[in-house]
Amino acid sequence: MHYCRITNEDAVLDGEKLLSFEGAADTGEKLLALYRYVAPDYPKFYKMDLLSKTSFLGVELLKSSCSGLASAPEDAVALLFANSESSADTDIRFRDSYEIERLPGPSLFVYTLPNIALGEISIRNKWYGEHMFAVFPNFAPAYFVDHSALLLDDGAEWVIGGWVNVRNGPDALIFAMDKGENRSRDGFMSRLEDSLEELYRD
Amino acid sequence: MATATLKEELKGHIIEQLNLEDVRVGDFVDSAPLFGEGGVGLDSIDALELIVLLEKHYHINVTNPEEGKVVFYSIDSMADYIEKHRK
Amino acid sequence: MGVSVYIGAEAIVSPLGQTAASNMDQVLSGHSGITLQERIGWKESDVYAAILQGMSGKEKFEQLLEQSLGAAAEQWDPSLLSSEDTLLIISSTKGGIAGDITNPFQPVVSRLETRFSLRHRPLVISNACISGVVAVNTAARLLKAGLYKHVVVAGSDVVSDFVLYGFQSLYAVSDEPCRPFDRDRKGVSLGEAGGALVLSAERSSFAGEPFLYLGGAGANDANHISGPSRTGEGLVRAVSKAIGKAGIDSREIGFINAHGTGTNFNDEMESIAFGRLGLEHIPLNSLKGYWGHTLGAAGIIETAACLQMMRRGSLAASLGYRSQGTSVPLNVLTGNEAPETDIFLKTASGFGGGNAALIVKKI
Repeated sequence: MHYCRITNEDAVLDGEKLLSFEGAADTGEKLLALYRYVAPDYPKFYKMDLLSKTSFLGVELLKSSCSGLASAPEDAVALLFANSESSADTDIRFRDSYEIERLPGPSLFVYTLPNIALGEISIRNKWYGEHMFAVFPNFAPAYFVDHSALLLDDGAEWVIGGWVNVRNGPDALIFAMDKGENRSRDGFMSRLEDSLEELYRD
Repeated sequence: MATATLKEELKGHIIEQLNLEDVRVGDFVDSAPLFGEGGVGLDSIDALELIVLLEKHYHINVTNPEEGKVVFYSIDSMADYIEKHRK
Repeated sequence: MGVSVYIGAEAIVSPLGQTAASNMDQVLSGHSGITLQERIGWKESDVYAAILQGMSGKEKFEQLLEQSLGAAAEQWDPSLLSSEDTLLIISSTKGGIAGDITNPFQPVVSRLETRFSLRHRPLVISNACISGVVAVNTAARLLKAGLYKHVVVAGSDVVSDFVLYGFQSLYAVSDEPCRPFDRDRKGVSLGEAGGALVLSAERSSFAGEPFLYLGGAGANDANHISGPSRTGEGLVRAVSKAIGKAGIDSREIGFINAHGTGTNFNDEMESIAFGRLGLEHIPLNSLKGYWGHTLGAAGIIETAACLQMMRRGSLAASLGYRSQGTSVPLNVLTGNEAPETDIFLKTASGFGGGNAALIVKKI
């Protein structure tokens, strides 16, 4: 399994620290620094909201360490994401656009759904697979373990899981696993639950 | 004809309103199409944001987005429209 | 053979009624819940929408879920709601955003947990307009894997200022009741509703006769976050996969309940997709003309309505449709008709490029 962790402090890929966010003033600056580090030429990035930017960058990082993803069948990469905030960061911005600025912002409104992040990842990678966004109060490895196994049993070759919050700075754990890892499922899945917990707490 | 000053100001507003962080004022060609392939390549949501921009900076209400297709063709057409309708 | 998944105990709470049956009485007699709502829109504009009277905006999300769950439980074994073998999945886009914008789901979810003595924390799925169909497909996966014996799926969304102003900012709201697939369609009418369905591995847990869930799938357009694909790519893939998983021949599908929002691009995209799938001749309707677009509730209440239509042997006319308005002609129902087979297809498409489909058979 490959994973990346994006927090207020830094971005880490498979345990290796890639970039420190020291000196970056806010979440936007941190993500821009990471975008420049990852260096895709992808101007759509600038238009994304913070949830989409963080999710997008997490997957870009994973692709750099996980060569199999690039050749994964376009129909068989499942996206399994969750957070505790839904799209609250952008929801507040959109509400302010009509309550304070008195001009409801259409491009803000289209980001007031958490699953838009999955759309951005799909567009970038031309992935046409299953995708689901769930909202629950705390990081819960069991959600990722249960549903990864279900998706891999139901036609997916890869699952990219992600827990992504942004309101108190980026807080993301994004991981990729392929069907091969699922072969000895019970053993792997019970280890996965422990390791996700560990990676998130680290 | 709209003034060069207005066009420069407009390009700045467009970059800000549409989050075109990788685009500079000098990248716009005044007569080139703003939408579709080439140029700055705006899309349908950008068109709606340009309606917001006209209201915010020039107090012009475009009520029919179809009208926008003509108005937002290029920097030239937008600037001309603003000259005619600004309050 | 794996686990059989049964689906039934359908509930709908909307401006048209408090139960699935009372809603369908209205639908099959051609009544719509969409009415002109004065000054509820941006800049106090008048807007057509399907609004529930007699509930405060802040409490609607919770009350709709609670009433839907109650109505579903009555047609099932109510004691099973609080069983160790049961999970509740909630489908919603904006939940209780009118109450707390920073926490639209959790306070309500916690209260439902207590009220219904749920044994597992409910799973909230928020996948834009396909949430309901994704929730049903997820429920079926959980049952097939044996993780639960029963999954109750409930959906609810409310017409808040937030959502209405948003759709207005996209110029996507029709200035008359929406007219899915019609030549003169002008956009969506929003609606608010709650709905619930029970999926279970135990046929005997239902008070009435359940249906058999055959298969379902989701797929992304990978094209644009707010504009539907011009080629219907994601919908084609979702339906093809669903047909494959259901293990049927597409000719066995006797009825399609489409998403049909009434926007120009969405309905056009669906027609292209159904044409590519060779399903354009199958009797089809959109139910948005009756309840409006109820967002996260849509997939639930419309699937519930499909069960009702199949039970009654009467497929509802696609309200608002008069003349062909898509580049691929579809067989849009202009009057109530009897279904030709026992199998129906339900589809949904939405923001974020999402598409989902499910296939169900009357036993």
